[in-house]
Amino acid sequence: MKCFWALVGRNCKVFFKDKGVFLPSLISPLILLFLFIAFLGNVYRDSIRSVVAGFEISEGLVESIASGWLVSSLISVCAVTIAFTAGTVMVQDRVTGARDDFLVSPVSSGTLSLSYFVSTYIVTATMCFFALGAGFIYMVAVGWHLSFAEFVLTVADTLLLVLFGTALSSLVCGFLKSQGAVTAVEATVSAAYGFLCGAYMPLSQLTEWLKNILMFFPGTYGTGLMHLHLMGGAIDAMAEEGIPPAMIAGMKEGFDCTLQFFSSEVPVWTCYAVLAGAGAIVLGLCIVFNLKRKRKE
Amino acid sequence: MKSIEIRHLKKYYGAIKAVDDISFSVSEGEFFAFLGVNGAGKSTTISVLCGRQEKTDGQIWIGGKEQSDEMKRILGVVFQDSVLDKSLTVRENLACRAALYGIGGEMFTRRLSELTETLSLGDILKRPVGKLSGGQRRRVDLARALVHSPRILILDEPTTGLDPNTRRQVWSVVHALRKSQHITVFLTTHYMEEAADADHVVILDGGKIKADDTPLNLKNRYAFDAITLYHVGEKALQNLSVPYERAGEGWRIRVENTAQATELIVKNPQLFSDYEVTKGGMDEVFLAVTGKRAEAL
Repeated sequence: MKCFWALVGRNCKVFFKDKGVFLPSLISPLILLFLFIAFLGNVYRDSIRSVVAGFEISEGLVESIASGWLVSSLISVCAVTIAFTAGTVMVQDRVTGARDDFLVSPVSSGTLSLSYFVSTYIVTATMCFFALGAGFIYMVAVGWHLSFAEFVLTVADTLLLVLFGTALSSLVCGFLKSQGAVTAVEATVSAAYGFLCGAYMPLSQLTEWLKNILMFFPGTYGTGLMHLHLMGGAIDAMAEEGIPPAMIAGMKEGFDCTLQFFSSEVPVWTCYAVLAGAGAIVLGLCIVFNLKRKRKE
Repeated sequence: MKSIEIRHLKKYYGAIKAVDDISFSVSEGEFFAFLGVNGAGKSTTISVLCGRQEKTDGQIWIGGKEQSDEMKRILGVVFQDSVLDKSLTVRENLACRAALYGIGGEMFTRRLSELTETLSLGDILKRPVGKLSGGQRRRVDLARALVHSPRILILDEPTTGLDPNTRRQVWSVVHALRKSQHITVFLTTHYMEEAADADHVVILDGGKIKADDTPLNLKNRYAFDAITLYHVGEKALQNLSVPYERAGEGWRIRVENTAQATELIVKNPQLFSDYEVTKGGMDEVFLAVTGKRAEAL
């Protein structure tokens, strides 16, 4: 156990001490948040106002809903993209030969792989909570509508999404053998994941067939949970300003707080089950491929 | 007692026979050299010996016991390229590697101070490995290999790419360690003069053992001695009826062995006023055994 935690500590240290990797990972969520606010903030504010057209709604509430959307989108994307960046430690060790150094000691390859998984999880969670903290500061500044339960659920959603991101990154990085390959994968994931999981664009605005395809992607359910817990309170608060319940339900559906799978509403517990189940399956695949690789050697 | 015993070791990658039925042993405290061109099977043998790769067939005994993960505790490995974490300090690197062998706390502090003294690491303990010179980094690599006090030190082409001064430093440390701690040294090298200093040499070619003996016996069997003669005309040499060639300002006469050299000198004392007798080198042994020139290594 001592040896396992020594490896976990070393992997985290290597990530945090590599300024070329750590600083961009730290700054990019803040840049993304700024870009969201600067370029997409008005789009979402207008979209919210258009949904409740004909009703009066306070600007504070509009800001609050928009900020909830932006922060939930940010965390949903970061949980996966940062996990891929953190996964570079494992690939880098393969490139530099550090992995061979560990394997000539009495450490088993299983312990080594698990240490990479746990350290990637710790690093990603740390960076995501940093981004979530920045997001909360923004939300408090524009109007806070989160209950304590929603706050706790947001933290839980983040941890679960990070687990899913870590499993996905461990599976993919397990096949990578060069720094160039990692960079290419990171670039692809950063560019595509936000669209694939419904973070950049609400699924409700997509064509039916595309929406249905994206609903087969487990990350979508994680983003849905984040949207629900970071925006739900603010959307529900519209009732106090005289917005009819049907319009509130429409707003929740329009902003992916409630997801539709082939026109049927997906219960919250199903979202958790899909995300946790997908994480477990990906993790299982990691173990299978690790064993296969070991046998091949 | 045998430190390492390998019997009928085979390592195949599909149709490629990287190591093909080799058997040899290394005695305790011996300085053993493994010689061969790139792709001869040296690194594969070391990989299998260290447990980094599974063998296809054969038996390996280390320290008198059949190879197992526990045996890794008595092996220390210095890789061709430094595999330590460049962003971490020397101390952090050694602490992490020591923890893999269950060495921590007081025990690590004691061992670190021993290694600091033996390898003169005092000034560099707090410096990141990436900022060390080639020689300093090699000393730290040796410290890493020795951190758990192994009985067998495996050096995988440890001086490749180092300048002559650094090479000398590395060897003076290794020889001092052999003298003070009686550890067995298992070396793979491209440098013939390094192999010439060994107690026992195995020459590997195409995955098979081509020669296995002491450097002296190998030289006696495969290399020719030479007499270099100065201040003598070519005409006088023609009368000797032995092969000769120009060598700088003198002539090099090839003789079968030292006895023939002595006989030649005794019979022709008038010619041998300024001369030197040199034994055949490992270059010639290597060429005779494998048919490959040492420069090609």
